This record gives sequence, structure tokens and C-alpha cells, in this order.
Amino acid sequence: MTMYPLTCSNFLSRRLMLALLVAQFVMPMLIGNARAAGLDEIKKRGLIVATEDDFRPFEFVKDGKPTGFDNELIEDLRKYAPFEIKQEILPWTGILAGVSTSKYDVAITAAIITKERKQSLAFTSPIADATHYYVKRKDDKSISSIKDLSGKTVGVQAGSALLARLPELGAMLEKDGGKLGKVVEYTSYPEAYQDLALGRVDYVVNTIINLKTLVAEKPVFELGQAVSGKSFPAWAVAKDSKELLDFLNGFIAKEKESGRFAELQKKWFGEAFPDLPVAFEPEF
Amino acid sequence: MSGSDIAAIFQGAIVTVTLSLVGILIGLPIGLGLALIRWANVPIAAGFVTLYVSMLRATPLVTLLLLLFFALPNIGVPINPISAAIVALVMNTSAFNCEVWRSALMSFPKDQYEAAQSVGMRAGQRFRRIVLPQIVRVSLPGLVNEMSLLIKVTPVLAVVGVVDITRAAVRIGAETYEPLPPFLVAIALYAPIVFALVSLQRWIERRQAAAEAAA
Repeated sequence: MTMYPLTCSNFLSRRLMLALLVAQFVMPMLIGNARAAGLDEIKKRGLIVATEDDFRPFEFVKDGKPTGFDNELIEDLRKYAPFEIKQEILPWTGILAGVSTSKYDVAITAAIITKERKQSLAFTSPIADATHYYVKRKDDKSISSIKDLSGKTVGVQAGSALLARLPELGAMLEKDGGKLGKVVEYTSYPEAYQDLALGRVDYVVNTIINLKTLVAEKPVFELGQAVSGKSFPAWAVAKDSKELLDFLNGFIAKEKESGRFAELQKKWFGEAFPDLPVAFEPEF
Repeated sequence: MSGSDIAAIFQGAIVTVTLSLVGILIGLPIGLGLALIRWANVPIAAGFVTLYVSMLRATPLVTLLLLLFFALPNIGVPINPISAAIVALVMNTSAFNCEVWRSALMSFPKDQYEAAQSVGMRAGQRFRRIVLPQIVRVSLPGLVNEMSLLIKVTPVLAVVGVVDITRAAVRIGAETYEPLPPFLVAIALYAPIVFALVSLQRWIERRQAAAEAAA
């Protein structure tokens, strides 16, 4: 059996503690110096686009291929852009973090424009209407209007704008003397819908488009009413990539003009949104 | 759920098995190397190994992975999801393997080592012929345990865009709004993968027992 002299490791561990301390300061520096790429750099190396994989009808995977509203727009963007487009498909969790650290140039997904996100990201023109609605089980007779939601358990996605704007619903309920019930957070919506079907939550809040698609596919659910004011989703780029933002807004404007945008909205959302603003300043 | 959906989950299974195998095959010898450095108490290096092992055991795999994936490009190291996944798996599993190997080394009888020295075996020979065969036998259950944990921790690799069995199942559930059938297929796939690993362990143990009986 080998003996382990403790004298020298005591001395070592003090140095190691020091190293650990230094690491605490160096790590943020490694992360802090991200800089967004200019359009010239993108032209050389290609545009790196991040999309989600389980956000039907915006982006999802069918038979192993990415499809949905945003993915069809990416196909158009490939023809429009004078540079190569490289697509990365990953779950929501890493997407906005990846854009703000410049791992990806743009998140082509339905990221709802919020005040908080605007501190580190910039958003393109809105791509759809994302007013928040609630969905409930069709056979749940206890909910027929917003005031019935008082005290009931609600499911929303963690880290989402929908979660951030739940206080709006809370204010609506308080007007009638009610209050917001327990809030359950999920990593993504399919789990929330599953729990709604199982009766573990009483209603789920998501955008009108996502819920319309859900209800069309799954008649056990029933769409409720709007639980927020105006809200719009858009594509997100890093805050300092002005050139890229202008380029993408140019692309969206052209798609809107040619009627292609409305056509895709009709195909994937069941309706076109002709009155979308070109720029949106969020209140929340 | 269609046939192509099941094919997608099988494709996920290939990713799960490949990444796990690469993680195991690289992590195993690194773990042994780290354990030897600590066992032999190599000056300075042993201290660093101790620090490495404690830090890695304290870091959740998903956090380590996100850190590697988002921080490395900032210091000019471009890293794709698969490489980030492999590096994170290897770093994580090597720390745990190190401790399994080290426990076997610590219980290794010193008199055998001295006996080998006294008959004039060189350090390399002592290790290969006397130490290694015995610590492998002692470490095997612990190592296989860690390997099966490694296989089952692969779903966290999905955060950077790796599509393993579980992520493939999640994607199908998101498209069909029916998450249960794909999850059942996923579970049915993990079982044989881990069973194959355990069978390999049994086979090695039987062979060792047979060799001992013959000797």
C-alpha cells in the first residue's frame, strides 16, 4: 500500500485554490468578448442560421427533414442571399444564448420581441401575430371565459416571453377579484400539452398560431381567449449586427411585397397577417 | 407514428451508441492515466489531477457542454456540436473512471508489487503483468456502471443540437402531438444497448474466472 504524504499536498492545495480564484475571473472574460460578424465577414464564410426542432408550425422536423414556416423562408433566403447559408438545428434552450455569443448569426425562429431580450438582441420585422391565448381541455366545463382561469394551474415554457407576460393575465384576473394560480414551467410545449391532456395543468398559454395548429390536430383541446395585449415574434440577431438586420429586413419586405409571405402564413398558420408592423417597440 | 419516424429514432440510436463508445474508449485510458498519476503521487501533476477530478465531478455535464460550446469559439477555437459533445463526455467520464481505477489501485496488495520488484521486473513489466490484470478485475463492475450511466446521460447532449434517441423521439412527439409512442420506442432501444454492455462484462468475468481455475 502506498502512503500519501499530506504535507506537500497541503502546500499544493493552497496554490490550487489560487488557480481556482483566477479561473473565476478569467472565465467571464472568455465569454464576454463576443463580437457580431459584419456583412463582409458573413459573405466570406456564409451565414450561420439557428432554428428550432420542435416548434410546430414555425420549425419542426418531419421524416427527418426540417420543415415549417421558417424553414420554407430559409429556402427562399438561400436563393435571395448572395452568400452561403449554413443551418444548425437545436432546441430552444441554446438558441438565443448562441446568437448573443455570436455562435450563430441569426435565430430564424419565432422569438417574441420583449424589452428584456432587446437589451442583448436586435429583432427583424415581425413575422406573425403572437397574441397570447389560453387552451384548455374540451371536456373541462369549469372554464368558459378568462375569469374562470382564476386560481387554476397554468403551463408555460420556461424562459419564454409567454412566461414573462403572465402578470398581464394576473392583472386581468385581479380586476374581477381573482388571481393567477400555480404556474408550471416546461422546457418545451409538447410536454405542457401532454400534461394538459393528463389533467395536471388546467390550461396552457401559448401564441395564437401555435394553439390554432394544436387544436386543429388534437380536437380534445379547445382554444380560449386572448390573455395578453399585442405581441409579435421575429427573427433575432446580436444587438450590434446592424448590417445583417437591414439585410434580413430587406428580405422580409421583399417576401411581403411578392405575396409569398402571406402565402406561407396561410399555409402554415391558416391565416395571413397583412397588417404586421415593420418595426415593433415592445411595452413588456 | 410512421415508418420513417421509427427510422429517425434508429438513426438517433446510432448517434447514441457511437458517441457513448467514443466517450468510453477515450475516457477509460485517460481515467487510468489520471488514477496512476495520483497513485504514484507524481509531484505537481497529482495535485492537478485531484483538482481536475473534483471540479469535473462537481460540474453537471450539461453545464460543462454549454460552457465548451459557447465559450471556446470566443477564444478562437471553433467547435461543432459533435466535438463539443465528445469532449464533454470524455472530460466527465474520465473523472469518474479515475476514481474507480484509483479505488482498485489503493486496494492492490503492496507485497505483490515488492515481490515483482525483487525478481527484477521493470516498472513497465510490473504494471502490465502484475498490477493491470488484477485492477481490471476489481474495477470492472464500477467501470461498467459508469459506462451505463454515460449511455443514459447522452440525451443532455441535445442542448447543442446532437440528435440522439431521446431527441429524435421528442421531435416526433412535437410533430404528431403524440409523445408517448416515440418515447416507448426510445425506451425499448436503450434496454438492449445497456444489456449488450452488461453481457460483455459477464463474458469478461467468466473468462477471467476460467483462466483462474486453469491456473
